[in-house]
Amino acid sequence: MPSFDLLCLAVLQAVVLLAIAPLMTGVSRMIRARMHSRRGPGVLQDYRDIVKLLKRQDVAPASAGFVFQATPYVLLGAMLLLAMALPVFTRHSPVGAAADLITFAYVFALARFFFALSGLDSGSSFAGIGASREVTMGVLVEPTMILSLVVVALVEGSTNLGSMSASIAGGYLQAPMAILLAMAAFAFTVFIEMGKLPFDMAEAEQELQEGPLTEYSGASLAVLKLGLGLKKIVLAQFLLGVFLPFGNLDTFTAGDIALAVFALPAKLLAIFVLAGLIENSMARGRYMLTSRVTWIGFGCAVLAFVFYLTGL
Amino acid sequence: MNTPLELLLLSVLLYLAGALGSLLLARRESLAILCSGVTGLLGGVVGVVASLPVLLSGTTQRFVTDGPFAFAHFAARLDPLAALMVFVISVLVAVCSLYATAYVREYAGRGAWAMGFFMNLFVASMVALVVSDNAFYFLIFFEMMSLASYFLVIFDQHEEAVSAGFLYFLIAHAGSVLIMAAFFILYSHSGNLDFDSFRALHLTGPMASLVFLLAFVGFGAKAGMVPLHSWLPRAHPAAPSHASALMSGVMVKVGVFGIIKVGIDLLGATASWWGLLVLAVGAISAVLGVLYALAEKDLKRLLAYSTVENVGIILMGVGAGMVGIAAHLPLLAAIGLLAAFYHLLNHAAFKGLLFLGAGAILYRTHTKDMDQLGGLATRMPWTAGAFLIGAMAICALPPLNGFVSEWFTYQALFSMGGTSDIFLRLAGPVGMVMLALTGALAAACFVKAYGLSFSGLPRSAHAEHAQEAPLPMVIAMLLLAGFIVLCGVGAAWVSPVMATVAASLTQSATAPVAIGHTLFPGDPGQAHLSIPLVTVLLLALPMLPILLVAGLRGARLGRRHGGDAWACGYAQEQAMVPSAAGFAAQPLGQMFAPLYRVRDTLDPGSVSRRAVQWCIDATTRLEPLWDAKVVQGVVEGVQWSGRKIQHLQHGDFRVYCLYVVATLVVLLLVAV
Repeated sequence: MPSFDLLCLAVLQAVVLLAIAPLMTGVSRMIRARMHSRRGPGVLQDYRDIVKLLKRQDVAPASAGFVFQATPYVLLGAMLLLAMALPVFTRHSPVGAAADLITFAYVFALARFFFALSGLDSGSSFAGIGASREVTMGVLVEPTMILSLVVVALVEGSTNLGSMSASIAGGYLQAPMAILLAMAAFAFTVFIEMGKLPFDMAEAEQELQEGPLTEYSGASLAVLKLGLGLKKIVLAQFLLGVFLPFGNLDTFTAGDIALAVFALPAKLLAIFVLAGLIENSMARGRYMLTSRVTWIGFGCAVLAFVFYLTGL
Repeated sequence: MNTPLELLLLSVLLYLAGALGSLLLARRESLAILCSGVTGLLGGVVGVVASLPVLLSGTTQRFVTDGPFAFAHFAARLDPLAALMVFVISVLVAVCSLYATAYVREYAGRGAWAMGFFMNLFVASMVALVVSDNAFYFLIFFEMMSLASYFLVIFDQHEEAVSAGFLYFLIAHAGSVLIMAAFFILYSHSGNLDFDSFRALHLTGPMASLVFLLAFVGFGAKAGMVPLHSWLPRAHPAAPSHASALMSGVMVKVGVFGIIKVGIDLLGATASWWGLLVLAVGAISAVLGVLYALAEKDLKRLLAYSTVENVGIILMGVGAGMVGIAAHLPLLAAIGLLAAFYHLLNHAAFKGLLFLGAGAILYRTHTKDMDQLGGLATRMPWTAGAFLIGAMAICALPPLNGFVSEWFTYQALFSMGGTSDIFLRLAGPVGMVMLALTGALAAACFVKAYGLSFSGLPRSAHAEHAQEAPLPMVIAMLLLAGFIVLCGVGAAWVSPVMATVAASLTQSATAPVAIGHTLFPGDPGQAHLSIPLVTVLLLALPMLPILLVAGLRGARLGRRHGGDAWACGYAQEQAMVPSAAGFAAQPLGQMFAPLYRVRDTLDPGSVSRRAVQWCIDATTRLEPLWDAKVVQGVVEGVQWSGRKIQHLQHGDFRVYCLYVVATLVVLLLVAV
């Protein structure tokens, strides 16, 4: 069991990430609106949406079963677990015993499993197609995600995210080219998993990746939206925590704490702005051709692996 | 009656008594069903009791007697590996026997007594096989197991079952011929059929590699590894569901057991390319197996293909372990074998559960076509819950048991990637990527399996009128579901036992794999993981949103379920209904089209079918040659002369008079 202090830190960072999740998705919406030459709803709109939805009744089709009801809570719970285990303020993970890269990949898979299954469980044919696309994207993304992280883990000699983060922050980049390429490949998968164009456009198209949302309403939809927002934050922080842990605490001094507290939202904001800019300069691609695009990311990860093997 | 071997003998005798009782009670079928079920249950429990002390202590029990044949001792050896196999077999047999007491009633009047007979014989031969320590008896029991299961495959007697059974028969026997050849080579060097004499040989060089390859292919055919898998997705689903559970859950493991027995126990895994070969075949089996499972619409065939996948994952662990032994990396050897043994146990549990679930569906709806199912979660809630746990475990979702064994497999491959040999550095991470791909495909596959069977609206009258399975079947499924959760959450207590089994094969000290509730692959610096912590967090964290929703309830009305799902006006459109061919199989089928084509070109079934077709074509061309050239010539000649002779028959009365006169003149001339 982790010590009480570390557990408090873990809970604190999960709460902080959850609290800023609607802000960051609000920023994404605002950037999209501005790039479409619209005024947009303002960055706080997602908080207002969630509060409003929490007051509304849950209505679901007669065919929806218990998986459908459980999914919002399972998804948010899984994301909170990841938020607790990530290195957020510190270089090491506060819950090291859950911060393993394979554990992370499979907790994401757990969330995906339930999210896709809820689409089928709702009995709606559109949600079913969305579920099919969700699991297909998983197949295209997960190998790249694992390979890019494994390259870094091999360089640093540990699959523990905290150890990887601490090694990279410690400055000893043993194979800079491999790590840079792995970071590019991982960023690519994070971008896809955040549900962005050209892979997804959840605000407009019901049948796409967020398709399983179709039948949700009221409080369940609020929880699910929080969960999906937190998933985006967790992914961004996954990238930041492992590859760019600069500014994170090494020692608990006042200056370091202030720096870490300031660095976190700044880095997250940078990721979201960057992702928003890329997303909105893309056209939507044909879904069946997605695999041709994801090969780029996989190729990048393979190249990183080759660089690792040759010791560059 | 207290040493493990005596208890094991009791267990085997119970199975045999069940087989015999079932045979004698052929006239009273309900008694026969009960008899074989109860003896199976008792035998399984006794088997568990017999194997546990050996597993926990890591000791080896031996028993040798002369036996009826002069050339072979009857030798039994209960080492930790055999005890693990006995444990896995016994657990699943006990549960399946309980299930069978209700399930086999479906077969009453169609020879249910024969099913009990073959079932118990099949189980008894498997248990005897894993403890026998003499090549002759090993092969005898191997044949018994293949034959008894063959009769279970053809039990339904319809065309598909008989042809699947024939394919199974052929491949199983082709495999056992190769195994015999391997044992014969060992025998010709040692002059004795005892495994002990094989162990003392320390064969090296090309001869050892030949023996290993023969055994690998022979046992691999039994294990259903690609490309020798084609019989498995046809034979396993054809058998009654509890027999499918045993065939997929434990019989394929006998193949894996054989590979470990010959490769590591008898030959000592001397060359590291053996391990790499096993690893490569395992990785390919894993990816292709699950990819083909994804395209299936028959629930039991989907599960059978997924067995190919899981055998692949087990073989990846075995391969990593063999590489570790050959390259003198004891930690890699220990973790690889640990992962393989753990996954072997886990797969027996969740694949058994899933087949029993499919059997419950079949029992109530009389179909295993997923396009005819749907909406069963509300009609069969216990079955649905158990199936969901099995599906989550097989997708390796934390905190269930499949996740722990795959985590160890990843860790073994990872430590392989950190060695100095360039081949191992390449093979480890490539294996990890293939395992990741397998995991993602398995998730797609089992979202589909659960979703199409249990979710949404019923798509046939059978599904609409289904009701919960009988009590013994539900209890059996819940027992396995509980076992899955225990093996997952209790990983810190199961892993050291598996490490002991691995250590008994590598002949080194047991690798440290757990402190308290934290797991680590020998070296805590490489990785550590606390399954109880993850479980507690996964259960506790959803409480936060539940409290949030409850706290902000205000004037909100309660949940309301009713009406149809939103279909955007396409509700009557058949193409929009989720179907087995459409869900995930269609996009992934296009994206991985080359890998699906491989199935047809590499499948020995289709290759042999093409060869047979060629032979048939050739003979159909050859066979009429005699007719065309000789018989036809004679016939044509006769007809031609007949037509010529016709001209004689002119029809004119005067011509006939002329014939009479001419004949008389000729006769007179002859007479004179």
